[in-house]
Amino acid sequence: MSSAERRGAAPYLLSLPGVSWLILFFAVPLYFMLSFTFYEGTIETGFGYSAEWVQTYTDALSGYRTQIIRSFIYGIIVTSATLLMAYPMTYWIATKGGQRKNLFLLLLLLPFFTPFLIRTISWTFVLADEGIFLGTLKDTGLLSQDFRLLATPTAVIFGLIYNFLPFMALPLYVSLEKLDPALREAAQDLYSDRRETFMRVTLPLSLPGVFAGSLLTFIPVVGDFINAEYLGSPQTSMIGNVVQRLLLVNGDYPTGGALSFLLIVGILIGIFLYARLLGTEELTG
Amino acid sequence: MTDLNDLMMSGGVRRLSRRDLLRRAGVGASALSASALLAACGVSGETEQNQPAGEDKLTTNKKTGELIFANWPAYIDKAGGGSPTLEQFEKSSGIDVSYKEVINDNNSFYATIREPLSNEEPVQWDIIVVTDWLLAKMASFGYLEELDHSLLPNFDRHAGDIYKDPTYDPGNKHSVAWQSGITGIAWNPELTGREITSIEDLFDPAFAGKVGMFTEMRDTMHLVMLGMGIKPQDCTTEDARAAQQKLLKQQEDGIVRKYYGNDYVGPLAQGDLALCISWSGDVVGRTLGENSKIRFTVPEEGGLLFTDAMGIPQNAANPIDAHAMMDFVYQPKVAAQMAAWINYITPVPEARPILKKSSDSYTRQIAASPLVFTTPEMESQLYSYKNLSLDEEQEWNELFNTVLEG
Repeated sequence: MSSAERRGAAPYLLSLPGVSWLILFFAVPLYFMLSFTFYEGTIETGFGYSAEWVQTYTDALSGYRTQIIRSFIYGIIVTSATLLMAYPMTYWIATKGGQRKNLFLLLLLLPFFTPFLIRTISWTFVLADEGIFLGTLKDTGLLSQDFRLLATPTAVIFGLIYNFLPFMALPLYVSLEKLDPALREAAQDLYSDRRETFMRVTLPLSLPGVFAGSLLTFIPVVGDFINAEYLGSPQTSMIGNVVQRLLLVNGDYPTGGALSFLLIVGILIGIFLYARLLGTEELTG
Repeated sequence: MTDLNDLMMSGGVRRLSRRDLLRRAGVGASALSASALLAACGVSGETEQNQPAGEDKLTTNKKTGELIFANWPAYIDKAGGGSPTLEQFEKSSGIDVSYKEVINDNNSFYATIREPLSNEEPVQWDIIVVTDWLLAKMASFGYLEELDHSLLPNFDRHAGDIYKDPTYDPGNKHSVAWQSGITGIAWNPELTGREITSIEDLFDPAFAGKVGMFTEMRDTMHLVMLGMGIKPQDCTTEDARAAQQKLLKQQEDGIVRKYYGNDYVGPLAQGDLALCISWSGDVVGRTLGENSKIRFTVPEEGGLLFTDAMGIPQNAANPIDAHAMMDFVYQPKVAAQMAAWINYITPVPEARPILKKSSDSYTRQIAASPLVFTTPEMESQLYSYKNLSLDEEQEWNELFNTVLEG
């Protein structure tokens, strides 16, 4: 093999571990999941090909419309909220953090040294109806006795925001941190006020970070089931809860698989529209 | 097994086990196209069916010195970080027990083992404790080992009459009881502000957001139907539909907070719930009993009596050791020791005189409690689950799932 040929093969060899990992643990399971949607049956009685597989999809779509819509609404709320919270915070760290930038980033990540599940379950104690937080406020008369947060959409959305904030913050920080301060100075030299500098220089240049952060937040939030499971009620159940129940409790692989694929398609459409909106198509290739 | 075969052939569709399905899907995987997949499905091959239970032998007929036991939380006596019963068993038998409290509700536990069982693969457990209806269902699929009663002399000698040859497992072919219990209502007087006597109280708008129901379909559906005046053995799918409507209404009105497995005890103890469906032993017993404000009531319309039984999953690695454990807990002294802590209903009536003689007043109270040693009056208020056919079960599950999914 000549050295030129070797250089030509190098990118493929370098991507081999990652690509084979993806094929083995992403593409293959996805393929099995897809194949289940063409079947009907249960684990005990076995599965058989179903001529009505299209109906599996339409039934899944109509039967769980509420949960699908709810998941996307929660996804949009949580993504917007984390963006509004993370942007000023990371902007401040990136521009004013100085020597302590790394310390601030560490503080941002600190809660994530505890597992996701434990963080969420501990909220069920903090937010308990008669717990340290609500119980105290109720005793002082600031809240009515029947006020509660647990088992409401508010608790689920708060939990999601808390759990996914760093997924928004880190990409934002990266894109804001690498912004050359000279660009902002140049804008001011050209008589832009602060608002105009932000709108015409900082924000457009940070859009890749906004886009990446939104994806990293929106996609897992739409599929999340832990927050709705522990902080919510049946009236807040998301598509992830339905899929979890169908696959892990009822063993209904066909419907669970169909729902998973509808979710994937829905998210892809959502991302496409969002990329168009932000004008960052080049990022998605 | 004929039923199962009929089922497999139903609708003219030849059924594949999940393993077949994966294998066949794998044939298509090289082409990754729908047509290749469909062609792969048409390939004929031997269908795998579960062995008829009778022809099956235990994995080994020797003691291995190990036992892996799956049970529900707070379902064995505890003292100082361990369990006296387990320690005595380990000492007297020389068997090392790994005891795990992994079961929160029947369906979600069953979901963790149904797939290997359907492929005739061993699961990690040597003993599992599941409720009567699930035990019967698993036995019908050939998922449980047949018990060797020559290894269970204490069971034959000391088990109460109703635990021998029960309807869910004729001849105790696949199981012996662990404990029985009553499904009723637990309530917190500080939050309800009045006595709870009726199933209708679970639907009272005054308790909006403070009512808990169960994820167990049979418990919730039967209790709701009892509230409607329908005894479990008489109820039809029409009644189940009416119960579903009632549950959906309860949810739309924001009365039900959530559906729970055994994890309802936390929210009940910390005051998130004012009242909820509950299993007797959790409230009578030390899980909540020490928190003396929580009460347990068998509603005036009636409660449910269930039995959780021990079975050995098909192809378990340590079946002889499992038999030893099953027999050990039927010694009256051991049963008494467990009953004093668990406070469900022990299957060993001879435990009662032992508890009565105890020097501890709490233990004597347990011996006198009709919720632990049921009296004829109490029994007249209790009903067993209806024996659902597979079709009925599926219909009821579908009805109930729409409730759970909100």
